[in-house]
Amino acid sequence: MKEKIGIVDTLEERKPYIARKQEKGQGIPLTCDNNSLAGAISQRACVYSGARVVLNPVTDAVHLVHGPIGCAGYTWDIRGAKSSGVETNRTSFSTDMKELDIVFGGEKKLSKAIDELVGLYHPPVIFVYSTCIVGIIGDDLESVCKTASQKHNISVIPVKSEGFKGNKSDGYKAACDALKKLIKKPPENPTAKKVPRPSETIKPKINILGDFNVAGDVWLVKPLFEQMGIEVIVSMTGDSTAKAISRAAEADLNLVQCSGSMTYLAKWMQKEYGIPYLNASFFGIEDISLALRRTADYFGSEKMKKQAEKILETEINRIMPEISRVRERVKGKKAAIYMGGPAKALTLIKGFAELGMEVVIIGTQTGKKEDYEQISYSVRDGTVIVDDANPLELAELLVKQKADLMVAGVKERFIAYKLGIAFCDFNHDRVVEFEGFDGFVNFAREVDASISSPVWNAVRQRTLIPEAVESDKKSGRIEKAAVKERISGENYANKCKSILLKPEFLHQKSETAVESQV
Amino acid sequence: MTKRNYATVNPCVMCQPMGSALAFKGIENTMVLYHGSQGCSTYMRLQLAHHFREPVDIASSSLSEKGAVYGGRENLKKGLRNVINRYNPKVIGVATTCLAETIGDDVPAIIREFKEEEGIGDDPEKYIIIIPVSTPSYGESHVSGYIKALDAVVRKFAEKPGEESAVKVQNEKLNVIPVESLSPADVRELKEIFEIMAEDYIFLPDISETFDAPLREYLPKIASGGTPLSEIADMPNSQASLGLGIVSKNLAVKYLEESHDVPGYSVPIPIGLSNTDSFFTELVKILGCPIPEKYLKERGRLLDAMVDVHKYLYGVKAAVYGDPDLVFSLTTFMLELGMNPVLIATGSKSRDFGTRMRQIIEKINPELEPVVLDGIDFDTLNDAVRECSPEILIGNSNGRYIAKACDIPLVRVGLPIHDRVGAQRILTVGYRGALELLDRITNAILEATDTFTAPVQPELAAYTGKGSGSECVEESQ
Repeated sequence: MKEKIGIVDTLEERKPYIARKQEKGQGIPLTCDNNSLAGAISQRACVYSGARVVLNPVTDAVHLVHGPIGCAGYTWDIRGAKSSGVETNRTSFSTDMKELDIVFGGEKKLSKAIDELVGLYHPPVIFVYSTCIVGIIGDDLESVCKTASQKHNISVIPVKSEGFKGNKSDGYKAACDALKKLIKKPPENPTAKKVPRPSETIKPKINILGDFNVAGDVWLVKPLFEQMGIEVIVSMTGDSTAKAISRAAEADLNLVQCSGSMTYLAKWMQKEYGIPYLNASFFGIEDISLALRRTADYFGSEKMKKQAEKILETEINRIMPEISRVRERVKGKKAAIYMGGPAKALTLIKGFAELGMEVVIIGTQTGKKEDYEQISYSVRDGTVIVDDANPLELAELLVKQKADLMVAGVKERFIAYKLGIAFCDFNHDRVVEFEGFDGFVNFAREVDASISSPVWNAVRQRTLIPEAVESDKKSGRIEKAAVKERISGENYANKCKSILLKPEFLHQKSETAVESQV
Repeated sequence: MTKRNYATVNPCVMCQPMGSALAFKGIENTMVLYHGSQGCSTYMRLQLAHHFREPVDIASSSLSEKGAVYGGRENLKKGLRNVINRYNPKVIGVATTCLAETIGDDVPAIIREFKEEEGIGDDPEKYIIIIPVSTPSYGESHVSGYIKALDAVVRKFAEKPGEESAVKVQNEKLNVIPVESLSPADVRELKEIFEIMAEDYIFLPDISETFDAPLREYLPKIASGGTPLSEIADMPNSQASLGLGIVSKNLAVKYLEESHDVPGYSVPIPIGLSNTDSFFTELVKILGCPIPEKYLKERGRLLDAMVDVHKYLYGVKAAVYGDPDLVFSLTTFMLELGMNPVLIATGSKSRDFGTRMRQIIEKINPELEPVVLDGIDFDTLNDAVRECSPEILIGNSNGRYIAKACDIPLVRVGLPIHDRVGAQRILTVGYRGALELLDRITNAILEATDTFTAPVQPELAAYTGKGSGSECVEESQ
């Protein structure tokens, strides 16, 4: 906190967004939650992207992008969210607006496209995303969708996600607003305040908000609650359907995992239908345990509490040998976290602690003030906290903080790889579950696989300069002079021995910048 | 076939700004900045990082609501300033997006203003060069974005303010400019050919290292490699330009011919036997040197391989899709191999595509009557595949859903390839590229038809005295 300048070499305007945790228990004044700086190469996407990633896992919806082809093309089947039924969401739909549509307006094309798609796919719901261009030419999505909705007797919901109107977080909000329109009033006592009901009489119901079923995560989480005698009405939005979402207001409790995207919806459901919510994470032994116990506590049933403890005991005993094995291999290694949302970043801190690893860099694209406060309480002194980082900052931090592993998404993967640092994808691209007990085992194994791979030893030896044989004997047919010529410069050879890395930006002015303080 | 007139389902093209990045990234020490909202740069970085498996830094002017209402001038200037400050590039390619185009920003004027404010002169030796290109996403496709960006680059370097009537100092070089993005491996192969055959050549854009960077001791902010700027500036003085690709118009080659009297020649992208033959023939004509023995040997090996596999490939029905010129050259090769390209398609809208395809079919195998489609999406391709029932698909990885649904193999060529490694190393050009492609196609067919391990057909079992295939397996257990 005392040295906010000089952690990394970056633009003056970016400096307030990077801070180092210095004294235990002390918060860090970190600037965040602003629009990205032009030319800084933010890792963030746009409003549309925020809306799209939240809604895309709704499996039976037609996700129609009203805009030029790019926006739909780059988000085609991007999420890695699995479905147990139909997979309409994995198809990319666009109005592919062309110059004439820009000039004369795209409403007509949109309405015809909706007609066409209803005829071909018979979806229960169509989400119509607006893109930058729609916000400029002013197509009235609201009215087109309303008309189409009445005509086809299905939900046609406009998603107000013009790319430039804010940042990714605004897209989350737009997605929640769209989901709101799908949620129907429950049949009984819609406004009566929900009270914990004993599970012995009526089966309690919950929703899981902010789980997107990437690689099938939800399928490892839902059974835990079912074993506790709880019905999970819907997980939003992983492996959800329009019908399941419409029933969400029947729930007694909402568990919010991805708080960045779903707290807004949870608060709305609390206000509108009196459904309280708890924050929860299904990643890592500690957080899963917390989630199950808090849920059982909320419902107050002794039977449920016992059942939760039983599940935890059995499951933890089952996976612990493998977790301990991996822990022995990776403990003491340093991790860097760069996530889209803060909830995942926070739960990862605990996850790494369970593996005996230490977090040295933590950042998010969309964290808010409260999130960073919480993060700064959760990490050790010396950890660098960064909001809306860019590739150069991340690269420099990875080197200076001596990270052994990075957890992030695709764009960050190759930064880590080029620096010779292990990597684990905790984003859309992963193909194995990380949530639930087996998910944590998967995570531990992947961390181990990436850190322990022998390729890093090879990478550390970044060049090959065999020592020339010092012999005057004419045993070889090649003249010694020629050999020397081939190895360009002996000094160079010495210089390059045991090189770790020489990023260009580390040779610049900020050589004085602080080393990691462990 | 489904007739959809309004909705596009599973697009087969990307947008124009993407194409511009593919071009700009092949120039020495160059950064790309998209004038638009933050998402555009992030999405395209994602696409490119997925495909090439390299870090891809593309800046954005990060237009917000304010910028959209009052114009993006300040954001663009700020973006340029920050990129210069952080990356210190020699060139910045500024590509517009739909947002910037629609709010009506005059990008060249803003850049002029920026240069004045920052004291950036016009001398390319001393100052940073900023190249605007208009690439709204609602116009054409990534293919046109690529062509337009290369044209803008060549023009920018060719225009020499104040010395319009200067006498041209001829060099001994040959310009080489493709109309579509080739793989880094392709560019490496072509460069090797030119290194051996041409005295001197200028290959634009050279992504052989920028998109396939070796992991070495030194990690630069901007990937090293790319066409040197001094070379681009020398392009108007070259002996000739060779355009690779004949379906799309090569604007840069045309410009150099019309404005700088550099004679332009165009050959198909050298994929397959006859296209590589034309490529070498053209080179021999332009350069006046014989084809090196090395390539004659490679050609011989290709012929040898074509003979070896001719029975496996004869009459095999194939569907080819992708960018127009890539598809043209792939199809030519398939025709040469005796395959039956029943379905030939491109996502780009192109009138010349159909004409060119008909010409080549007429020339090599007039008996065939393939379905030729342009401006398609993958849903249309899917319908066409079901109608034409090809035995193999050849194209980018977005065809994987169709291949899987139809249970036919997909040989991955083109961009994007997200579901397999090695996209940057796929070699298709030259005789060596043809050989590799030939092996991949043949092996995919052998694998799919299970030629060497398939059980005896049940209806033939009576004649073999062995019983049906499944019984054989049981017996052996």
